[in-house]
Amino acid sequence: MTKALKINKNTEQGVIELLKYLLENNKVKGVFTLKKINKNGDIAYSIITDPNELKDAVPFYPLMPANAGKLLSRFTLKGSTKKPVIAVIKPCELRSFVELIKREQGSLENLFIISSTCGGVYPVKMSVNGALEKNLSEYWDTLKKGGISSDLRSACKGCEEFIPYNADMTVDLIGKNDVDKQCIIFFNTKKGVELIKDMKGEFLEKELDNKKLDKVREKRHIEKKNLFNELETKMNGMDGLIEIFGKCIGCHGCSKVCPICYCKLCGFESSDFEYKPSNYETDFRKRGGIRVPPRTLFYHLGRLDHISISCVACGSCEDVCPVDIPISVIFKKIGESVQKLFDYIPGKNIEEDIPLITFKEEEFAEVEQ
Amino acid sequence: MNKSKGAIITAKPGVKKTIIELLEKTLDNGIFDAVVLPMKVPAGDSFSYVLFKDKSLLKDAFILPPIMSVQGAKAVTSITRFGKGNLKIAAIMRPCETRAAIELSKLGQTNLENMTLISIDCPGVLPTSDFLRDHEKSMKLFEDAAKNLDDKIMRPVCQICDKSSMVSGDIHIGTLGVKKDTFFIISNSQKGDDIVDKLGIDLKDNIDSWQSKVKNISEEKKKKRKKAHKDLKLEIGGLDNLLETFGQCINCHNCMRVCPVCYCRLCYFDSDKVKHPAEDYLSRTEIKGSIRFLPDTTLFQMGRMMHMSLSCVSCGSCEDACPVSIPVAQIFSMIADETQGLFDYVSGRRLDEPIPLVAYKEEELHEMEDAND
Repeated sequence: MTKALKINKNTEQGVIELLKYLLENNKVKGVFTLKKINKNGDIAYSIITDPNELKDAVPFYPLMPANAGKLLSRFTLKGSTKKPVIAVIKPCELRSFVELIKREQGSLENLFIISSTCGGVYPVKMSVNGALEKNLSEYWDTLKKGGISSDLRSACKGCEEFIPYNADMTVDLIGKNDVDKQCIIFFNTKKGVELIKDMKGEFLEKELDNKKLDKVREKRHIEKKNLFNELETKMNGMDGLIEIFGKCIGCHGCSKVCPICYCKLCGFESSDFEYKPSNYETDFRKRGGIRVPPRTLFYHLGRLDHISISCVACGSCEDVCPVDIPISVIFKKIGESVQKLFDYIPGKNIEEDIPLITFKEEEFAEVEQ
Repeated sequence: MNKSKGAIITAKPGVKKTIIELLEKTLDNGIFDAVVLPMKVPAGDSFSYVLFKDKSLLKDAFILPPIMSVQGAKAVTSITRFGKGNLKIAAIMRPCETRAAIELSKLGQTNLENMTLISIDCPGVLPTSDFLRDHEKSMKLFEDAAKNLDDKIMRPVCQICDKSSMVSGDIHIGTLGVKKDTFFIISNSQKGDDIVDKLGIDLKDNIDSWQSKVKNISEEKKKKRKKAHKDLKLEIGGLDNLLETFGQCINCHNCMRVCPVCYCRLCYFDSDKVKHPAEDYLSRTEIKGSIRFLPDTTLFQMGRMMHMSLSCVSCGSCEDACPVSIPVAQIFSMIADETQGLFDYVSGRRLDEPIPLVAYKEEELHEMEDAND
């Protein structure tokens, strides 16, 4: 059984109470969480050191203004934090952080992670026009019942990886019908248990209700199949890809917000990749005409090639696409099939090497043929 | 703009068709080896610039598409960033795209020697997201609006654009103030003169009617622009308001990526210079109690303003690409008018007008120094 803390408060308030305890008692130096940052109510990830600032924290607000895995990588890029910091993030954000750590882009040292069973997030666009705020009560009602809210990011609707791996603490959210009255926090790691050893409170021995969560997974699975089936009707060979990506404006926003795309300078933006006048002239002779700037589809295929093994299907890419290309579904679909080939789940096991660095001479002979 | 002469072209089969026929002639006669202009993408739901020589493709050319999916200057610099190349190319674009290409040339990012910039009177463009919602319906709406010079459905910065007929490239096509089934060809450079001459067109016609129509529209828009900027300043002026305005920014930097003037391969704000050890972030937090992370969202916007406002052409691409609908282009157009006004500079107006930052004078702007005393 796992040690769990029960707080008789709304789950979000319960977690804030824990965070407050940790800050006030110097167990951690900082808290990383979603927070209201101004009087307009804009929500952004923030670092908090003053316990009073926690009053504006909204750790489980259904929004991902940026993938926190990417942000934690930035936080620890120049070395692990010397002082302990606790972060409240979503399961896919934690998975992407783990993938980044495998790529030496961050460190978990002195970081404590709180995650939760995740009900998904709304597209960022909905946070702008007030639509998200209006959906909140429906979101929590649906979450209690273990259902899928209608306007969520596509990637979230079909997400089966909603239970965190590697979190020090897991907050029970999905399918918990008293989520607004009672908060349950599971302590999964020694590190986590150690952190609250002096804390007074109602501690239990408990497990997540897996039966309940399996039912949620079934619903998500059906939703995912629907998304994939819809995509398959369009993504049909080269012509289909051209149809889908034809409207891409080349902003590369998808790579910029992707937690896995960590390169400082993307190959597709490098000088090596730019067409020289001679390239244009050669293409010109061969093909008669060429789209400028060139290599629109190549960029997306290249990005798929580079990141699909580690894609956590967070949906950030699609959220920032100014022309509404269903990138996240495409990447989720390709990502899953590539990951399946190597029996690899990105971000699941921090000790497990990325398949690309564990080349075996005797594999995939069938692909060669 | 000092042009008083042009040529009236009869366009019995329609303006677009006649322009295409002229382009066909330039390809036939070897005046150009290739053209670069917008075409519909295969799915029909957007447009992209295409460089081609094959005359048969001209029938699919889309001069003045309803959206600006990619700023034309980006297409120009993509072709000529590494040199003029061997192809003589005609680029047909909107005036703000031509102007951005001229700015990029001054910034050493494109070699225009073999490139002929051809602009055309612009009715504005639709916000891309509006267009994508229903592209067939939007197409019709755009065509009607363009015909009636109705800018209500266009990008917000198009609604206040006072330079929609600015002649700054080599050749301009004037469709305003004309008699039915005609348009004007106006040359603005020696290169333009030579090409028009080779086409056997005589630049002898009076273009007063075009000029006065353009002047009217421009003055009306200027008034609208001033008013819009004044209102906007009230809303976003001062640091507090600015921080609120950019509060929703998610740091995707899409605005910078689509900006024709932001040409840096690696933006300072994406470089190692803005990446700090965890301790630095924590000590910053301790001073304020909490900081947003990533920090310096507004600093990025202000830095970008500093870097490019003198060359900003107010095309609106930034705002179009913003996933959280910040009125970036309106803000930048306001700042650009002020910074450019300070140096009596208009971005992309003339190729031979140096960018103020490279024309530093020791004895200037003392009044600004005083203001800070």
